[in-house]
This record gives sequence, C-alpha cells and structure tokens, in this order.
Amino acid sequence: MASGEAKPVNAEEPEVEENDEEAEEKGKKTAKHDAGAADLEKVTDYVEEKEIAAQDIQDAMRVVSDRQNREAKAKHEKEKELSKVKINKDDVDLIVHEMEIPRTKAERVLREYKGNIVEALVFLTN
Amino acid sequence: MPPKNPLPPKESALFKRILKCYEQKQYKNGLKFAKQILTNPRFCEHGETLAMKGLTLNCLGRKEEAYDHVRRGLRNDLSSHVCWHVYGLLQRSDRKYDEAIKCYRNALRWDKDNLQILRDLSLLQVQMRDMEGYRETRYQLLALRPGQRASWIGYAMAYHLLKDYDMCLRILEEFRKTQTPKPYYDYEHSELLLYQNLVMQEAGMKEEAMEHLRSYDKQIVDRLYVQETTAHLLTLMEEHEKAAGIYKDLIDRNPENWAYYRGYETAMHLNDKPDERMELYKDVLEKFPRATMPKRLPLNFTTDDVFRELIDDYLKKALRKGVPPSFVSIKSIYQDPSKVKVIEDLVLSYVDNLKESGKFDSNGEEEPATALLWAYYYLAQHFDFLRNEVKALEFINLGIEHTPLLIELYVFKAKIYKHAGDIEEAVRLMDEAQSLDTADRYINSKCAKYMLRANRIQEAADMCSKFTREGIPAVENLNEMQCMWFQTECAFAYKRLGKWGEALKKCHEIDRHFTEIIEDQFDFHTYCMRKMTLRSYVGLLRLEDALRSHPFYSRVAFLAVEIYLHLSEHPLADTDQDNDVNSENLSPSELKKMKRKQRKAQKKAELEKEKQKAEQEKKDQNKNKAQDGEMDGPKEEELIPDKLARIDDPLEQAIHFLKPLQMLTPQCVETHVQAYEIYSRKGKLLLMLQSLKRGVLADRANPQFHTCLIHFLQYVQEQRELPGPTKTVIDREMKNIYEGKTALQLNEEFLASNANSQEHRLAAARMMYKLDSSRQVEAVKLATSLEGHLTGVTIQNCISVLECLCSGELGKCEQEAKDYQLLSHQRFPYATAFIAPSPSSSLTTNHSEQILVNGSALKNES
Repeated sequence: MASGEAKPVNAEEPEVEENDEEAEEKGKKTAKHDAGAADLEKVTDYVEEKEIAAQDIQDAMRVVSDRQNREAKAKHEKEKELSKVKINKDDVDLIVHEMEIPRTKAERVLREYKGNIVEALVFLTN
Repeated sequence: MPPKNPLPPKESALFKRILKCYEQKQYKNGLKFAKQILTNPRFCEHGETLAMKGLTLNCLGRKEEAYDHVRRGLRNDLSSHVCWHVYGLLQRSDRKYDEAIKCYRNALRWDKDNLQILRDLSLLQVQMRDMEGYRETRYQLLALRPGQRASWIGYAMAYHLLKDYDMCLRILEEFRKTQTPKPYYDYEHSELLLYQNLVMQEAGMKEEAMEHLRSYDKQIVDRLYVQETTAHLLTLMEEHEKAAGIYKDLIDRNPENWAYYRGYETAMHLNDKPDERMELYKDVLEKFPRATMPKRLPLNFTTDDVFRELIDDYLKKALRKGVPPSFVSIKSIYQDPSKVKVIEDLVLSYVDNLKESGKFDSNGEEEPATALLWAYYYLAQHFDFLRNEVKALEFINLGIEHTPLLIELYVFKAKIYKHAGDIEEAVRLMDEAQSLDTADRYINSKCAKYMLRANRIQEAADMCSKFTREGIPAVENLNEMQCMWFQTECAFAYKRLGKWGEALKKCHEIDRHFTEIIEDQFDFHTYCMRKMTLRSYVGLLRLEDALRSHPFYSRVAFLAVEIYLHLSEHPLADTDQDNDVNSENLSPSELKKMKRKQRKAQKKAELEKEKQKAEQEKKDQNKNKAQDGEMDGPKEEELIPDKLARIDDPLEQAIHFLKPLQMLTPQCVETHVQAYEIYSRKGKLLLMLQSLKRGVLADRANPQFHTCLIHFLQYVQEQRELPGPTKTVIDREMKNIYEGKTALQLNEEFLASNANSQEHRLAAARMMYKLDSSRQVEAVKLATSLEGHLTGVTIQNCISVLECLCSGELGKCEQEAKDYQLLSHQRFPYATAFIAPSPSSSLTTNHSEQILVNGSALKNES
C-alpha cells in the first residue's frame, strides 16, 4: 500500500521513536516467555512480495490468457443458454418449499433440467 | 480517480505513515499520526483518515468506536477505494465475509487494479471456497503483476483446487522455468518442485511424476519424501523389484514404520506366502534385534505352531519387562478366536508356573517377581475384553493383593466396573487411583471423565481444576482451551439429568470450536504461499473442508439433534424448571423443599457469576492496557442455557447441527436416520425421501433406518392430495426403494435376514406391533429373548429393550418389563441399570416409570 518512506515532519517525532523501542523491547520479553505464541504472531506479519527477475514471462502469459479467455466465453455461453430456458414460477415455489433451498439455487437446478420439475426433484433428492 | 478533498503534502505524508504503522502493527503510533491530521480543522472530516483511524482502533479492540469512525469516513468520501477497503477489512475482522466481499467489490469499482484489494478479495474467496471467483481474482493479480511469484502460485493453485490438473501443471511449469534455484539447499524451490509432483500424482500421471522426481532429484531436499514416493510410484507402475529394493532401504532407515513392511510385501506379492513373508522379518530382526515391529507384525499373519512360538516369546518379553500397554499392542489379533485361545492358555500357564517356581515354564530362567503381577494385569484385560467380568475382577484383585499401590491396577479395575455397568463403583476406584498420584494429569482427566459418566458434573470440574488456570472456573478455562472431550461428556451428563439447556450449551460450545478452527485457517492463505509450503497448505485446506466429519463433532451434533427433537415434542412450559427428571417422583413437600433449595442455589450462583464477571471485566481492561493486542474475532453472543432450551424453532436448530454431517458423512447411516426424524416432524415428504434414498446407499440393514423405511411407507399412504410433481417423484422413487413390497413383507424380510441380532429383533418387534397390535405377544417375545446364540447382547441394547417395554411401544407390558429386568440382571449382575428399585421408592411412583428412570441413567454409555 505505502511505498514511499515519509520524512520526519514535526517535533513529536522523537517521542514516537522512543515508543517504538519500548514496543520492541516488550515484544522481546513476551517472546521469551511464549515462543509458540510469538511464532503464531509472525503468521500475520506484513511482508513485501519478492519480484521475479523479468525473463520471458511473455510466453507464459500468453498461454495463460488464451485459456482464460476461452473459459470466460464458455461460461458466458452456458449462462446465456440457461437464461433462455423457460421455467414455471409454481414449480420454483414448490422446490423452495419442499426442499428448503434458496430460490436462486432452485431456479438454477430447474433451468439445468430444462424446466422439468420431476427430473429436477429426483436430482435434488439424491 | 483522485480522492475528494486531497491532502496537502505534509498531511499526505502523515497519512502514509498511518498506513505503514498499520501494516507494522504499531497501532498507537498510527493513532498519533491520525490525530495530527484530524486536529487540523481543515481536515477534521477527512474520510480516509477517519477510516484508517477506525481500522486502527479496531485492532486495539475498540470495536464500537472503530465502526463509528469507519462509517463516518465512508459517508464523507463514498468514492474512495480506501474507505470501502477499510470497511471491508473491518467486516472481515467480524467474520461477515459476504459483507466484506461486497465492500471489496465497491472498492474495486473506484480502483479496479488495486493490488492490495484484489489480494484481500482473493483471500476471502479461498476462505469461502468460491473457487471460480478465486481463479478470476488470481488471474487479475497475475495479469497485473506477472513478476511476482505469489501471482503464479496462486493462479496455479486455483486450477488445482478446481481439479483442472492439466492447466495447473502448465502454469507451474511456466513458472518453474523462470526460477533459478540457489546452488545449495534451496528449501522453497524444493517445495515448489514437490508441489508440482503432488499435482502430477493426483492427476494420475505416474510416469511423468517419476520422471520429474528423477530429473530434479538434486534440487529436492526432502529426501525421505523422495524415497517414499519413488517406491510408491514404482509399485503403481508395477516395477515391483525396484520398488521392493527401495522399501528395503526404507526399513533399514526406520525399522519401526509398518507402512514400509506393507509396501515391501505388496511389491513382492507376499500376502499368500507366509513362509517367505516371515523371512523378511527374520532378516530385519537379525539386523535390528531390538526393533519391535518385526516382532509384532508376524503375529498378524502366522498361525498354529509358528504363531504359538512367536506369541510365547512376545508375551514373555513383555511380562518380564513389565510393559503396561502390551495388551493394547496385540488387541487387534483378538479378532481370531483360535489365537485368543492360544494366548489365554499361555498366560494362564505362566501364572501357574510363576506361582510355583518363579519361571514362565519348566525350562526357563528365574523371572523377576513383577512378572507374575503383569501376568495378572494382562489376564484382567484379556477377560475384560471377552466381557467376562467375574474373571477379570478375579485377576485384577490378585494383582492388587500382589502389589497394593500400583496405580494401573486401580485404573483398570475401574474400567472393568465401567464395562460391567456399575459406574458408581468405577468412579470410586478411579478416584482412589487418582489419589495415589495427584500430580498425574492423565489419571486426573480419567477420573473427571468417569465422574461425568456418573453425572457428577461439579465434582468433575473440581477435579479438573487441579490442573486448570487459577483464578477462573475450570469449566470456563476448559472451554477456552477447546477441551472437547470434557465438554462432550458434560453435554451427555446434562442430557441424562434432563437439563436440556445446559446440554445444548455444551453442544453449541463445541460447534463454536469447530467454527473457530475453520476461521483460524485465514492467516495461512498468505503465509503458506509466501513460505512455499504448498503441499501442507493444500493439506490444510482439505482438512478444513472436512473438519466437521470429526467424531468430536458428530457425537455432539447427534446429541443436539436428539435434544432438539425432544424439545420439539415436549416444549418446556414457562413454569418448568428444566432441572430434574426425577422431580415427578417426589412428594409435594419434598418437591417444595427441592424447589427452595434450587432457588437458593440459583441465587448463589448468580451472585457468584456477577462477581466473576466483575473480575473478568477488570482483567480484560488490564489486558487491553497491557498490550495493544489484537482482538481475536468478534465477541460471541453469550450462550444462556434457559434460552437455548426454550427456542421457537428447535427443528431448524437441529438442521443447523445436521447439515455439515449430511455434507461430510453421507456414508454414515445415522446421519440419514436423524435427517428423516427431523423432516418427518416437519412433514417435508421430499426431504424424507431424500434421507431414505441416501440411507439405502449407506446401510439399508440398520435397525433404526428400517423403522424409518416402514414409517415412510405408511406415512405416504395417509397423505391425500399431494401436488402432482411431488406424487410422481415419490411414486417413481419408491418403486426403486421398496420394489412394491408392503410394510409387513418388508418387516418379515428384515427379520429373516437378521434373525440373530438383538438390535434388529427389537426394531422388527416394534414394527410388528405397530403394524398389527394383535401380535403383541409374539413381538414382546421377539424383543425380550436373551438366548445364547444372539449377537449384540450388550448392556446398552438390553436397556433399549427395557425402555421400549416401559414406554408402551410394545403395548402395555409391565410384568414383561419386570421379568426382563430380572433376566438382564442375571445376565449382567454388576449393571446398576437392571437392579430392581428398592421397595421404599416404589411406594410413591409407578413401577414401570421407575424402571425407565433407572434405565436411562445409563443411556449413551460405552
């Protein structure tokens, strides 16, 4: 998030530094008593990411992005097809009421079974 | 988009320092910088600074102020990605993940390429297992920062978790090509290679995985894993000679790992060749004469004289040395009755010989005096395992006579009484054992557990308090420590006492532990990627996915379901003291006295509680002052037993506990039985059908499940006017399950194929009477038989029969219940459940009820 180091800008600065040291000392003390907890604490530490030396990332990236585009397209088409299926509101109500599942899920299953309520219910009771 | 009301350079620098302080967990300094900005009247309403101040306050545990500041900040600057991001982080720390995701999405609207926000979003997505979304986000991160290794690893892992191995491997391979390992010991690179290898194995690409291990052999530092995996892959590729060679090396490396022996045997196809198999162990034993595995494993497959010779040697060594767990170490061979006989004869002969001459047999050497003691101890365990309590007690008493102060003997004697059904005596003995060494936490815990089995909850807590932190009640400390065995036993004890609310509280506490463990994985999403411990990370994700399949969860989940089912049928009235199941047996004056006592106790408890609360608050304050420690998640709503027992929607609560089990343990038929019970009370036909369909796949022959099958058949017939589709589905599916049979036919078939099992007979009898009450005599006879050839005649099952007789499920049969109680008493003389009540108590109460009370006192034992 923050990349540039800010310069000391006001008079309160020294006091702050002092506090830093204090905090650090305290950290050391607890570490002695409670090594396990201290290790756990490190898990949440913030660490700057290392960069890979920029080599021929280009080729690799091409492989990846081709695939990504194809997948996005396939997904989009499937969604489009599903949205075309006509479903009956009463059927959705029945599924929601009988199977106790969220409405969106009921609709989706019904669409996947091309609006056939019996097939959808057989699937849901599996 | 530039933020509204941008800060001038000086303040802007200060703001950056706030961010830095937040990252480095220097929250107090962060607040100081925030104050410097906000005290300037021109910026006192600066949105982003307010938001950051709030976030920092949150880390110091000042939740309410935090929300105030962050919300105010956001209102002042709705188009700032920082404000939205901060609001998301705040929600995340409160575990409102769905809300947090919405906030992040808003933040990305104002700054769509913000790395930090994308990273945080990806963390939430993997935590919520929205793998498709995770893949999308990781793709964006990769496209933005192809130079970072985490970008590649994260993207590859998304495919791995989506089981698209091919793509995962391609990404990993492209990434690996960009890496140059350090010349000497590069652990992280080694882990990357092994992760790549793991994906190959999971994709079933054995040749490629083998080749991969070979070509990068020099760069991999986990040598043991390489060796084990090579052997495993060679076996899969049917290169048995080579595999066997490696397993031989592994045995040399660690002769105590039985998996290596098994690997060798599989590779060499030794399973049907006992002689050659034995050769292996002889060889190893020659090389490592002190190893135990080559002595223990042949006991599994040898028979007759060879076995006799080996077990003779094994037992003598153990008894001579005095190895307390030697029985446990060979318990698994007790499945073979002929081996049990050999062992019994041998140890009994040792005892005779030791008493006579101090030797195991006529031609041996003089043994230490303790050999006899350990032989007694072994025999007690042996006979206890065979459920011969009389003999077991005989030998344990001989042992105690021989060495009166050996703790193990008392511990085991207590166990014998527990198995025999006399928990009071077991507690007494365990307490004695405990008093012999009060500094032994194992025995302390055992003792507490036995006390809980005897429903002595307060005593158990006092016992535990010898080892829990001082200053807070033991029960609280044990909850904090996620000590689940204790809480489970407490829950069962409360349930036996009819304290539904208290029992539910324990169930919920354990449920929360599991939630906690799932939350705890959050930090590892970044940590493991950074440290490249990818194999362990995937292992962790899979463990968390299936966490609630752990028996610690399923046990209390079933208990909670049982209690909620009970409460749904017998809701507590407002006046009900949910305190004592026995209260109905008391005379009015006694009842009054008891009530008074209870009120007093309650008052006292409340006072005590308040005092503790005050103390706790004081402590909390101190804690907050002492460290600018982070708060661990949101404060949970307090669990109040009375409220828990008086909920409006017990069935929904039951479903809450059951849902994870439906997902995670579909192979366990109990899951579906309980689901059926819940949904049948809700009258949800299709969900009942669902439970049946799943149960049929798990274990159709289960007695409880059988009763569900019959119930459904009748229930459907009673229904009129079902909606068309529902009826079609039910008709169609029932054809598969029932094959057109009637309930009667079903029951007869069930009985015929399980005629010798007591549990199945009881279920069949119950259904028989339910279907045709004129067959009562036949049904009762079926249920109450205790003939010798029956299997599964245990104390627990006999109690079930007795309860069934008393509850009227087989019609009115008071005399039969009494007779059965007597019969069971003869069969299990020590079991308190079958001891007829004393005449004095039977004056005030109905007899069959008293029997039932005695019976249920021991329910859910074992």
